Amino acid sequence: MNNLPKTQQVVACHLCDAIFDKPQLKQGQSAKCQRCGSTLVERKVDSINRSYYWSIAGIILLAPAILLPIMGVTLAKQYHNASLLDCILVLIDRGFFMIATLVFLFAIAVPIVRLFGAFYIAISFKYRRLKPSMLNFFRAYHHLDNWAMLNVFMLGIIVSMYKLIDDTELSVNLGLLSLVLWLICTTMASLTLDQDYIWETLEQEFADEDS
Amino acid sequence: MKTARELGLGLCPKCHKVNTMQTEPMQCVRCHGLFYQRNRNSLQYTLAWNIAALLAFIPANLYPIMIIYSLGIGDESTILSGIGQFVDQGLYPIAVIIFTASIIVPLIKIIGLFVLVYKVHTGVRLKPDKHSKIYHILEFLGPWSMLDVFVVALLVAVVELGFVTSVAAGPAINYFTMTVIFTMIAANSFDPRLLWDKKLIEQNGHIENEGR
Repeated sequence: MNNLPKTQQVVACHLCDAIFDKPQLKQGQSAKCQRCGSTLVERKVDSINRSYYWSIAGIILLAPAILLPIMGVTLAKQYHNASLLDCILVLIDRGFFMIATLVFLFAIAVPIVRLFGAFYIAISFKYRRLKPSMLNFFRAYHHLDNWAMLNVFMLGIIVSMYKLIDDTELSVNLGLLSLVLWLICTTMASLTLDQDYIWETLEQEFADEDS
Repeated sequence: MKTARELGLGLCPKCHKVNTMQTEPMQCVRCHGLFYQRNRNSLQYTLAWNIAALLAFIPANLYPIMIIYSLGIGDESTILSGIGQFVDQGLYPIAVIIFTASIIVPLIKIIGLFVLVYKVHTGVRLKPDKHSKIYHILEFLGPWSMLDVFVVALLVAVVELGFVTSVAAGPAINYFTMTVIFTMIAANSFDPRLLWDKKLIEQNGHIENEGR
């Protein structure tokens, strides 16, 4: 173990633990693991700016996506429509607390938290106001990676439209459009965020305090 | 090719920084999070969550997932009978989507994780490159089985026309969400690096034994 590589100069694959020399990448390039083929490091193009603008768009669309009715049904001259928020209120009203909680968490709370998280990270990198609390914040941000299910919810809307279209008169409202756009914005805001770049910048910023 | 473990290094799962492992658990020098070189008791956790998911999957299929009331008369349907209705109506694409999302995907996830745990434990015919791809697919599939839950939630909220028609969720929905969440936690607690470790031990096993 004499030739122990400096931890600064190596990267390890998170799926198979193979060690490689740290590649020097330009924007838009990514390095793949030779052993298992997963992405090792990625430099995203113009990451901070793109994430900033996508998250601003997402925050603007937030209110219409949640409050505007997604779709409505007409049956026997009665009309009823529901927005994402109504959906949860109705579920609570009728006593289905578990699905109400789950839909709230996975389709509203997690996407919102991720959206504002991406916005906060992007804005503090854009204007270079980095605080040490950012370390904890960005670490916590990764916990939510798996739990945003807005895309599944979208497919759920399509399926339930098919279910309803035969028996009832179905009308699609503006809420669906804003929900689709919101889904795109939240996904893009977190996709464009370059994790490796952010961690490296944070490391340089706070390296002095640690040693 | 060296692995981080052989060199006494560990990868922080949060910030992907390579650390020299001095203690276990190690505090990452970059993000200050605690981590282990490998997920702790990974196989046991995966197995336990997996069994829980399998148990919850049984009532999820037996109980009705949705009850449609029209003019006060309730019509119960389970996951399978719901798919059957779509087939009867000739809506094959939707039937296939729901069948995939709510029957095939959870089953594939549960069986797949059982196989992976078994392979890592015994090391029989272990192909790490192939198996880590399988793991990757299982991880990706995770949230998509929530589809049926969201569909029922939407129908309950939208179809609420008082006495004429209304939809209620059945008890199966709780069990089904439990299945989905348990399999997601199971997939998260599985550590794909164990596949490669086991393979390495298999290959170097007898050489080390001869040496000693």
